[in-house]
Amino acid sequence: MSKEQFTIPIGPQHPALKEPGHFTLTVDGEVVTGASVRLGYAHRGIEKAVESRNWVQDLYLLERICGICSHIHATAYCLGVEKLAGVTAPPRAQAIRVLVAELERIHSHLLWLGVAAHQAGFDTLFMYSWRDRETVMEVLEQLTGNRVNYSANLLGGVKFDVDTRVLETILSGLDFLETRTHHYLDIVSGDRIFLQRTRGIGMMTSEQAERLGVTGPTARASGVRRDIRVDAPYAAYDRYPIQVVVETTGDLEARFIVRLKELLETYHLIRTLLDGLPEGDLKTRMPRRIAAGETISRVEAPRGELFYFIKSDGGDQPARIKVRTPTLSNMASVTQLAVGHQLADMPMLLTGIDPCFSCNDRLTTVQTSGESETWTWEKLRQYGIASYRERG
Amino acid sequence: MKIETMLRDIIQSLFHKPVTELYPAQRQPTPQRLRGKLRWNPEKCTGCCLCVKDCPCSAIELITIDKDNKRFVMRYDAGRCTFCAQCVQNCRFNCLEMSSEDWELAAMDKALFTVTYGREEDVQSLLGCVAPTGDPAGE
Amino acid sequence: MLASLFALLIFPAGLFVLVNGLAYHWIDRKLVARLQNRVGPRWFQPAADMVKLLANEEVLPTGVDARLFTALPVVALAGALAAMIYLPIAGLPPLYNFPGDLIVAVYLLSLLTLCTGLAGAISKDRFSIIGATRALTQLFSYEAPFLLALLGPAFAAGSWQINEIMAYTSSQWLILTQPVGFVVALIGLMGKLEMAPFDTPEAETEIVAGAMTEYSGRGLALFLLGREVELVGGLTLIAAFYLGGINNPFDYALKTLVLLLGVAGVQTLMTRLRIDQVVGLWWRYGALLALGQWLLLLGQRMGT
Ligand code: SF4
Ligand code: SF4
Repeated sequence: MSKEQFTIPIGPQHPALKEPGHFTLTVDGEVVTGASVRLGYAHRGIEKAVESRNWVQDLYLLERICGICSHIHATAYCLGVEKLAGVTAPPRAQAIRVLVAELERIHSHLLWLGVAAHQAGFDTLFMYSWRDRETVMEVLEQLTGNRVNYSANLLGGVKFDVDTRVLETILSGLDFLETRTHHYLDIVSGDRIFLQRTRGIGMMTSEQAERLGVTGPTARASGVRRDIRVDAPYAAYDRYPIQVVVETTGDLEARFIVRLKELLETYHLIRTLLDGLPEGDLKTRMPRRIAAGETISRVEAPRGELFYFIKSDGGDQPARIKVRTPTLSNMASVTQLAVGHQLADMPMLLTGIDPCFSCNDRLTTVQTSGESETWTWEKLRQYGIASYRERG
Repeated sequence: MKIETMLRDIIQSLFHKPVTELYPAQRQPTPQRLRGKLRWNPEKCTGCCLCVKDCPCSAIELITIDKDNKRFVMRYDAGRCTFCAQCVQNCRFNCLEMSSEDWELAAMDKALFTVTYGREEDVQSLLGCVAPTGDPAGE
Repeated sequence: MLASLFALLIFPAGLFVLVNGLAYHWIDRKLVARLQNRVGPRWFQPAADMVKLLANEEVLPTGVDARLFTALPVVALAGALAAMIYLPIAGLPPLYNFPGDLIVAVYLLSLLTLCTGLAGAISKDRFSIIGATRALTQLFSYEAPFLLALLGPAFAAGSWQINEIMAYTSSQWLILTQPVGFVVALIGLMGKLEMAPFDTPEAETEIVAGAMTEYSGRGLALFLLGREVELVGGLTLIAAFYLGGINNPFDYALKTLVLLLGVAGVQTLMTRLRIDQVVGLWWRYGALLALGQWLLLLGQRMGT
């Protein structure tokens, strides 16, 4: 084997990454000696686009930032806009928001379990976890009418109610999922060959996690007790408290365990929520024009903290919306942790943070030389063409 | 510490039917709340255009033929629609609903996505003349 | 003359093993799918894949030796097919034999991996090169235990000629007396065929398709066919040696299919091993176990 160093490009098109992101890995034999990341391939200009639509239309546009945690985006936006408008959605609506958000978390975590297992080369676990995920997808379909992009939210409330039929579907689905989750927990903490690929891999101490600004289950697996649902309860989380799951080992195994244990917490939460679902309306009136002002809205997405900044100038369209998704804050940890690991561990490490690239790519940093210049559309286009040509 | 954690699963699967849905050959029943193609009932429509205003993707268009006699035609583009049901929420007269049966909307031709709802003669007169230019839907 | 042409082109070394290989490949995929609670492909899928690949354009990457690049898949398939001549395909006695043909057959079966490694190494593609390194590393780790495991029966039979060993094993099930050898041989075969969990050399999520990344069309089809032929050959060899010999086509089908079920089970139960873990596994356990079994046999021999 030659000791020559070479770089391995992973992405933007690579079978390990179904989404566009680019990683440059320097390897020495099988060991990674350096890693860098380049993002931005899925930039869609959503933040700009919301400025030319009205508040209601934006709800659906923002819901489509992410295909997996779509509801949580809409919730963050609704809560923010409602805060600006001085409106609170009725308690039943808030509870249903939480319900859908938690069902979405189940769907997201099971999806992640499958993807991570596939990256490790354990396709059987992948197939089974996705088979079981179908249960929660069907529950969501019964409840909202869609498998993804549920559009359950409205400004000032929700669209759907929980009736007895849906209630039964949810409860029986949860029972099945609970037994399966226990089973998966056994697998990820007991299968010797699988553990060879996860135990002690991608160690991140809690100091590192704090320093890199990691959020969500990735941080909780490193012993950082941080969960917006508890730290700053939104919607109905103040009425349905949740136990934060924390593991201290900080390796890939801990990330598996945290996510699966979180599922168990979620089942518990949904059951209590359905037990004491408040009666009342599903929505209140919302003004078409939102009073001028600015606000932030933070929620706990399945992948970590999701942050919205919303600014209104009093019109029927937002003046500025800024979104920061958890993947962006977690991404730095990947390049940091990569060094010293085997090439074969890279896909697992990356998946460990549950990345979502289309969530991620919203911001480009432009370094200016200080002089300002106005470019016409045509000039911008020419510049783009030329720069891509140069790059080849 | 085991290596056969999934042994029970795979042995069970050997004696069970696969869960794969053989989609075009077998169709699962759809849930009641499924949001499929939009349907419009002209009887109660007042032409207020609230539905059009909040549609996030300009999928619907209301063409007023004769406001006093409540003659409207609705043009709906299933290819643009994101099935969000905001229009259904907005309509105060419950003229709009989303079908739970009509959901296999794929087509090879863009033109097939456009559906025009309304009274027969209104649709005819509309389709007969040149494509409407004036936009009463108020964009 | 005509008879040997028939032997080379149709049976056992030609068309028959190819069809057999495609069928077994399908059965393997179907079994894995069913074990994972999926439907799996329909019966003609592997054949359809082949037809599609053969019809596809073959892309020649820049900077490679064109002759070597096109010759390697041919050599790999030819090697695998040539091995069939010495094997009791379909339960019929091997066509040719001479003392020591077991060793020749085993090495002809290894030709495929060597060609894969070489093909990856000349491809100048990063994924190919890593795949090639991994394929060869893996080859060196399972080859010795695999050979030892096959020599066990040979030793017991006191001959290195396949049909003589078969004559010995058909009277007794060596799986009972040499269980370790059987397991090592079967797992070794999986390593040879780069099946999960030994698919590190072509780990899709890490290095795309490993050494095969640059191959397309005909070249890829030939490599895949070679692997399918090897699947048949390997299963035949193990069934003949360890499962009480194979004396007729029915015996052959039954025993190889049972083995295939075992292989599919292992494939579904395990996570892909990292290359360092593969090497560790083989040298730390595989080789030692096979060697221990061998020494045991030797002791028994001395004793009697
Ligand atoms: S469902 Fe949504 S996208 Fe479709 S027409 Fe109604 S408002 Fe527009
Ligand atoms: S909101 Fe209802 S009543 Fe108003 S135009 Fe639309 S369909 Fe007609």
